[in-house]
Amino acid sequence: MKKLLQLSIIILPVSFFLIFFILLTEENQFPGADYREFDLPVFELKILNNDVSIANSDLEGDYVMNVWASWCITCRIEHPYLASLAKNGIPIIGINYKDEKIDALEWLSKYGNPYQVIVQDYKGTLALDMGVTGAPETFLVNKGKIVAHYEGEINDYVWNQVFDPIIQERGMFK
Amino acid sequence: MIVEVSHFLSIISTGLFFLVGCFSLTIKNNSYVTSLISRTYSHAFLFLFISFLIYVWLAATDNFSVQYIYNHSNSDLPVFYKISSIWSAHEGSMFLWIFFLSVWGFVFNIAIKNNQILKPKTIGIISLILVGFLLFLLITSNPFTTILPIAPLNGADINPVLQDPALAIHPPTLYLGYVGFVIPFACSIAFLINGDPDIKWEKLVRKWSVSAWVFLTVGITLGSWWAYYELGWGGYWFWDPVENVALMPWLAATALLHSLNVSIKSSHLRTWTILLSITVFSLSLFGAFIVRSGIIDSVHSFANDPQRGLYLLAFISVIVLSSLCLFISRFSIIKNLSNIKIFSKESFISINNIFFGTLTFSIMLGVVYPLIYEYLFDQKISVGAPFYNAIFIPIVILASLFLFFSIDSKWSRNIGLKIFTKPIGLSLLLSVSVTTIIFFYFEVSKIFILLSVFTGLLVIFRYLIEIWFSLFYKKYLNPFSAIAHLALGLLLVSISLNSLLSTERALNIKINEFENYKDLKIYFNDLRVNKGSNYDAIRAEFYIEDKKGNGFNLSPEKRRYFTRGQITTETAIHVTPIKDVYLTIGDQLDDGSWIVNIQINFLIRWIWFSAFLMAFAGIILISSRRRI
Repeated sequence: MKKLLQLSIIILPVSFFLIFFILLTEENQFPGADYREFDLPVFELKILNNDVSIANSDLEGDYVMNVWASWCITCRIEHPYLASLAKNGIPIIGINYKDEKIDALEWLSKYGNPYQVIVQDYKGTLALDMGVTGAPETFLVNKGKIVAHYEGEINDYVWNQVFDPIIQERGMFK
Repeated sequence: MIVEVSHFLSIISTGLFFLVGCFSLTIKNNSYVTSLISRTYSHAFLFLFISFLIYVWLAATDNFSVQYIYNHSNSDLPVFYKISSIWSAHEGSMFLWIFFLSVWGFVFNIAIKNNQILKPKTIGIISLILVGFLLFLLITSNPFTTILPIAPLNGADINPVLQDPALAIHPPTLYLGYVGFVIPFACSIAFLINGDPDIKWEKLVRKWSVSAWVFLTVGITLGSWWAYYELGWGGYWFWDPVENVALMPWLAATALLHSLNVSIKSSHLRTWTILLSITVFSLSLFGAFIVRSGIIDSVHSFANDPQRGLYLLAFISVIVLSSLCLFISRFSIIKNLSNIKIFSKESFISINNIFFGTLTFSIMLGVVYPLIYEYLFDQKISVGAPFYNAIFIPIVILASLFLFFSIDSKWSRNIGLKIFTKPIGLSLLLSVSVTTIIFFYFEVSKIFILLSVFTGLLVIFRYLIEIWFSLFYKKYLNPFSAIAHLALGLLLVSISLNSLLSTERALNIKINEFENYKDLKIYFNDLRVNKGSNYDAIRAEFYIEDKKGNGFNLSPEKRRYFTRGQITTETAIHVTPIKDVYLTIGDQLDDGSWIVNIQINFLIRWIWFSAFLMAFAGIILISSRRRI
């Protein structure tokens, strides 16, 4: 009985440590990644540069959607990476999120524009429908369907680990 | 250049701490070795102290060539926040944590004379723990990394919700509490290694344990207060995982303080006390692990890095398991007086310990169970207030009832405990009548709230009567115990009444219009745009009037911080002793009206007051000259 009591003093913490070890070494290194599939929400918003209306039906093919804002520091950090993606021929649609038009345009002229089109989402309605919680967030869109979503800064590592497997699997951007 | 000096000094101190640890555990003690160990520890501490001072100076003078300072500070900040930015993220706060650990060791080193037989081993164990954490800091989370060759002109700013005086002092206070339990831990381990059952290590660590407990109590309370007014959460406790990992060591430490008393007075429960002191420190380390491994998402957690988590897990399991193995191997030598008399104080304190142990363990389950569940079934569940309430309310009520009857009990004696005495009768009568008034006045339908108000009142009245007797009839009363338990009763009553009476509502109000809520009229007078030193703000002006025509202004804000673009809500609170009127402003709706959240929080100040009162009881115990 006494031995059992002594043993249980050790067993309890050991089992806790084991649980934590299993949880820590689990493969899920990307808590920001989400692979649920859903249709791109219906929207009709204005384009940043010319205030022309744009709807979800105007966007075709495969592309990346990136939620950004001029007030967002991390957006500035991931900006060069987006530029290199654009250079490699990946179309990027920008969603200018809860921003001021003047600030956004000034930001683009300062740091360059990797986006094919930028949608003004100043009330955050489209972002809300897409499940955005902040900026930056990036979506992978395949034939009108969102197939991958990443919360946080996109860089080479995240791109290769989170998005590239899906791109290869679906044969996107060909 | 200067940052390298600081880096270098911390490396040297790691080496010195390692030497202290090795010496003390391998060489047989004599007075020469002890004084050598003591002096080497002081030198190692001195190096770490200077290293930390330099780091503080670097942060205060905007040295953005240091990566960490660049990431978390900004030249627009007041100096106060430049310094507090050190503990606003993982690396710096870990540095502070380690520094505090070494401070406890240093104060112990100075305060305890060299002829105390457990001193060298205690210092040695503290040093080895320091080495482990310093290596963790230097290898996986180096705060000294620099940006070279060209330092950035300005930093990326501290998180705005952390720019608050309460928050600047909340983490340091809490850390002082967490790491303070290294003293009882190291002493108990030194006692076990030494193996002489006649050494009274419990007496040595009592005041140290109480000091750490005071810091932990104040730290937790400050955090609760900060979440209330700065995060806009509008309550005092949320069973957030990180609140829980602070509450666990607090509960275990409270049990430890009680059982230390028993072990000192009558040599009962000595094994249990050792186990508790190991548990408390293990739970403190567990807190550090939970926050820093990224295993749980919470307002408090730092950036996720599995490697850090693994290192911490490995090191903590070495500490915990080796001390438990030592504990088991020395199980038989600890002299325990068995046969506790059934109505003695020891008996009541044992019951108290069982209750506290149950509470601690159920929180542990509440923290860990969702993690296991998510891993096995790939589904997120949250264990929230209902779970904890279901466990806490009945246990706390029971514990308070036992406390109520334990007041007359004596150490090691069965006699002197009567079921019905004048003080018991009087406090029963008073509590029953006050509870009845509350029942009819507020039309309470929840039996548990009524019960907890009742037991809280029992404790309060009973101790008030005892204090009365001790003041006017010179009856003996332990002042620390009286104040701390009075605070417990107060806490119980204010928490129950708060949950019973507090209400909240989201209102839509347009500018220059008003809304009614309860017996209040809320006028929305104006909306202004303000500029702060590092943010833009929308400031809403409200005038709130009650039935009698007494009114006050409240101006909640929404701020947008320049550098991070983060939006924060600044609450506006009208404080009276009985209730708070608490306003936050949300978004503007399409029709031009604003969402305004109003809460009326009853007795919330009393909750924090009770917690501070408990800490105060601890402070007078520490400062009392009486040897207990």
